[in-house]
Amino acid sequence: MAQGTDTLARGGSMLKEWLSSPLFGIALCIAAFAVGVYIQKLLKTPLANPLAIAIALVIAVLNTFNISFEDFNQGGQIITMLLAPATAVLALSVYNQLDVLKKNFLPTVAGCLTGSVTAIVSVLLMCRFFGLDQTLTASLLPKSVTTPIAVVISEQHGGLASITVAAVVITGVFGTIFAPLLTRLFRIGNPVATGVATGTSSHMGGTTAAIQMGEVEGAMSSIAIGIAGLITTLIALFL
Amino acid sequence: MKVLWQIGIIFGICFIGEGIAMFIPIPFPSSVISMVLLFLLLLSKRVESRQLIDSSNFLLRNMSFLFIPAGVGIVQVFDKMKGHLFQIFTICIVSTILTFAVTAYTVKGAIWLRERIRSRGEEAC
Repeated sequence: MAQGTDTLARGGSMLKEWLSSPLFGIALCIAAFAVGVYIQKLLKTPLANPLAIAIALVIAVLNTFNISFEDFNQGGQIITMLLAPATAVLALSVYNQLDVLKKNFLPTVAGCLTGSVTAIVSVLLMCRFFGLDQTLTASLLPKSVTTPIAVVISEQHGGLASITVAAVVITGVFGTIFAPLLTRLFRIGNPVATGVATGTSSHMGGTTAAIQMGEVEGAMSSIAIGIAGLITTLIALFL
Repeated sequence: MKVLWQIGIIFGICFIGEGIAMFIPIPFPSSVISMVLLFLLLLSKRVESRQLIDSSNFLLRNMSFLFIPAGVGIVQVFDKMKGHLFQIFTICIVSTILTFAVTAYTVKGAIWLRERIRSRGEEAC
């Protein structure tokens, strides 16, 4: 009997060791994303977003098999690390659209400015309306800018980095799914305006959708991440 | 070897970007600094865009995949957000829609204004 539980415990720890291999997290993400892409092809609607489906699937697998986030993240953090080079190569799409940027520089900066102010003011007002405390308000405040900037702004104002990251991701995933729909809903009809609006409102997440909408959209969205991030950092200094 | 070389260049730029981010006094993300750095290298023709085409296409086309672990990370803060989940989602979504609309209409308005000033200028001539 004692021997039986011993074997079981040994099996359990072996299983844990096996699952904490970085390859597990990476393989799980790729499998979940493949399922997401397949479901989108099947349903043919932007609402069935591969990223959102993959996140839900991975969470479901971790919960079902009682796998800790730390084990999953051994591989997860390798994928997350690739976000930095992915952001850097956005410079290529900006460079390929240099003429568009030169021609529309002032409108772009103007859009990033009003957009960043709108993001901050709307979050502040809604937090008041819902009666959220200072910690939550500060955590949600920078949710429209890219993660590294958002975390710093959040902590400067007494927010929690982990909640900020969650809010940034929720915003990004929402942007990925809805940027094309919002473009049609608001009848934007201008690729420069669409790109800048996507990048300013939903940073990298939205930009992934902007790249698929077109080269100009993708490039302007990439530029907007940087400009809106800079403007938000400056505004936050005075809050 | 070609792709390896490309990855080397991109990762090298990112590493330098992280170094710069540590030294500047304002909090600015290293990934955006790396983007500016690569942009300047392209402008000054030190790096040509075709030199990086394979690996950058790989990264750009799979960008949304790279967000999966960050999204899964939300489970860690679920307890802290419990009770405010509805509010947090509402705030994120409503604020994003408002920001999108205001930004897009500002850009469109500014472009319209510029065209008008330009056409007036031409009329004056």
